[in-house]
Amino acid sequence: MEERRKYYRNEWFDKNLPEFILDGLSKREFGFDHLGHGPNDRYKVFKGKDSLRRFLRYKAPFAAYISVAFYENPRRRGDWIKSEYIFDVDAKDLPIRSCNCDSVCEICLGEALEIVNNLIDTLEGDIGLNNIHLIYSGRGYHIRILNKEIMDSDSDLRSEVLKYVAGAEIPNLQYSNLEGGSGSSYNFEHFSIPIGYPKVFTDRIKYNIQHLTGKESIDGINPKLLKDIIKNRDFLEDNQWGIFKSKIGPRRYKDMVKAMARVNLATIDAKVTIDLKRILRLPSSLHSKVSMKCVEVKDRECFDPLKSAVPKFVEERE
Amino acid sequence: MVSLSFINPLSEEGQRIVKEKGDLNSIFSINEDLIDIVTHDQRQNIDDDSLIPKSYGYLAIKRIQWFIERKNNKNFINDDYSYLLNDEIAEFDVISFHLISQAIATNFNLNSREVRLFVESQGKLVEERLIKLMPQERKEIVNKILIQLIFEENISWTFLKDLVASKKISLTDLVLSNGKIILNKEDFIDRFGDKFKDRAPDRMYEIIIGDSIKELILTTMIMQNTENYLQKIKDMSSTIEIHPAISELAEEITKTISELSSKYSEFHGPSGQESYMKIGKLIKDAFPPCITNTVEGVSSGGRNDAIVLLLTSFVSYARLYPAIFKNEGVDVKVSDIDPNLNITLNEILPLIYEAANNCSPPLFDDQPQEKINITSKLGFGMHNDPDIENEGETTWYTPMSCEKIKMHLPQLCRPDKTCEKIGNPLSYYSRSKWQMQKEEKTKQAKETK
Repeated sequence: MEERRKYYRNEWFDKNLPEFILDGLSKREFGFDHLGHGPNDRYKVFKGKDSLRRFLRYKAPFAAYISVAFYENPRRRGDWIKSEYIFDVDAKDLPIRSCNCDSVCEICLGEALEIVNNLIDTLEGDIGLNNIHLIYSGRGYHIRILNKEIMDSDSDLRSEVLKYVAGAEIPNLQYSNLEGGSGSSYNFEHFSIPIGYPKVFTDRIKYNIQHLTGKESIDGINPKLLKDIIKNRDFLEDNQWGIFKSKIGPRRYKDMVKAMARVNLATIDAKVTIDLKRILRLPSSLHSKVSMKCVEVKDRECFDPLKSAVPKFVEERE
Repeated sequence: MVSLSFINPLSEEGQRIVKEKGDLNSIFSINEDLIDIVTHDQRQNIDDDSLIPKSYGYLAIKRIQWFIERKNNKNFINDDYSYLLNDEIAEFDVISFHLISQAIATNFNLNSREVRLFVESQGKLVEERLIKLMPQERKEIVNKILIQLIFEENISWTFLKDLVASKKISLTDLVLSNGKIILNKEDFIDRFGDKFKDRAPDRMYEIIIGDSIKELILTTMIMQNTENYLQKIKDMSSTIEIHPAISELAEEITKTISELSSKYSEFHGPSGQESYMKIGKLIKDAFPPCITNTVEGVSSGGRNDAIVLLLTSFVSYARLYPAIFKNEGVDVKVSDIDPNLNITLNEILPLIYEAANNCSPPLFDDQPQEKINITSKLGFGMHNDPDIENEGETTWYTPMSCEKIKMHLPQLCRPDKTCEKIGNPLSYYSRSKWQMQKEEKTKQAKETK
């Protein structure tokens, strides 16, 4: 508690709040966890940054949260206006990570950053979204999107965008041949089409395969298949998918593709994306369990949480 | 070239035809010109007089009948309805389209099966009519209609966001670049030309995009516009007196759909090995783990979705119509099987309410409004209890798939061996019942030996 007080009194400044949080601050719901039992103190509203600062300094909460939703009446979560789009990648919950640590470490946090960078590239390049912010949450990353055109959409649209960006669906492999008469069609494997969704899917599963350690337990991939995937993955360095597939065998390749689509979905916490009224850790606040700051990532290519998210009191402690 | 309104009856040309030639007084009058075209269609089967629509009204009914028969009748004969794909009937077809729209919009709710069948039938007709055209004409007409529908060449996917949200179009089927849907060859080559190493980009354009994505967008947009048109008529209908002929047409449509639905659905009990799809009392031992977990009660956080979205649809379909996914073409409503709602009120709702009560905290204690949401998911609108009067105000939700459960309610998904073979909790239920029946038979056989 002492250290939390110290943090909110000496280290926390309202200028640390990102612009996108300050904009429309009074339309959002705040939630607080005072004792470390979860955010029980909810439905809080602040008119502006001054009242928020006073509250944080006085209460020094264990954790502070802010809604992804904007409301006309945030105190009752009434008259919902719109919500940010969220993609939550928690390093601890990654289905494939090369560190095998118990909680989070430098390696899996680095991998989580690589994954969110890939997601943001697709969100910008394919889906064409803007106003995307990346937040380091303490144990992973939140991608927070405030794209005006889609913020009023419901969960269904959000889950469709999620499936595309995550690579959670097996791409359509059959293309109808209109000129060849009805019924005829072309068949392509996902890796034969280097554009659009098939490329997103191929990139995601290539990443997965390259990060396998052999210790994973993945639904639909038995130990023998896992071993063979790892044995042959060097072919993917040069994108020799055809050879890789023939080494694995067509039937087992199909099993792998199916399983990888599920891994892709599990990489992101889908429940957070489709929840319109979620509260997320407040950027600038303290993650007391890990003694790290939740901060906005300015340079996503070379962000290092150990340089940018360690509070001063921890440095002094050491 | 084929008339644009033959593909898109809501086009300006279509509206003009209706203004000039539509006459509500002659809906059921014998129309010799129509009969002449139909009977002179080269492929049309004319052996049976009942196959020939003789008026605008019966042409309207035939459109719906064609769609249901085509989807469900294993012995469906294309030549019984050949005229529907013959562009010579374009003017009659446009008028009949607008007549059905009026009849359906003024008599049914927008989530009713009548509306769904009509909208889907329109989509299917567009597809089939395009297939019949010569390739060059097909290309031209698709381009012309698309320009009418989307006004510009480079559209953003967000223009179609309603279609994406309702899964009519999948984002993964579109080729996107910076949010734009790539439809033109020039754009495709410009954006992706250098990505293809072993294949010619223009050939790949023809295969990946070519006309198929354009046709997909065109068809789904016409379906969406048909729905919007029905909404518009519905909004206006409160201030306008409905013509008796429109009411008569609505009655005929209802009769046709009811007759065909009961002909092709199996709610009177199928025979043979499919008897596990039969309608009957709920067997809790055959519930999948996610449903058993829900019935036992869910803790705060997942209660609403588990009770309202998952359990309500599962229990209602499992009890009333477990064959829903097997007979996907047949649109069934609760009252088809449970006309007085006796089963719904005395068996289905009590089970859902009991599960709601088992939640911690009990769901209705702090969220009594969820009762309304349960009624709504059964298809009876936003009311506290289901009432036959309100049927069709909302959709009778089908049970969510395992994929969706994993996303919405991961804490309830504890798959067992049977789960590996199925994609929906309802399929689990049917499979499980079948296994139980099989085991019972083996046991009986052993005992009689």
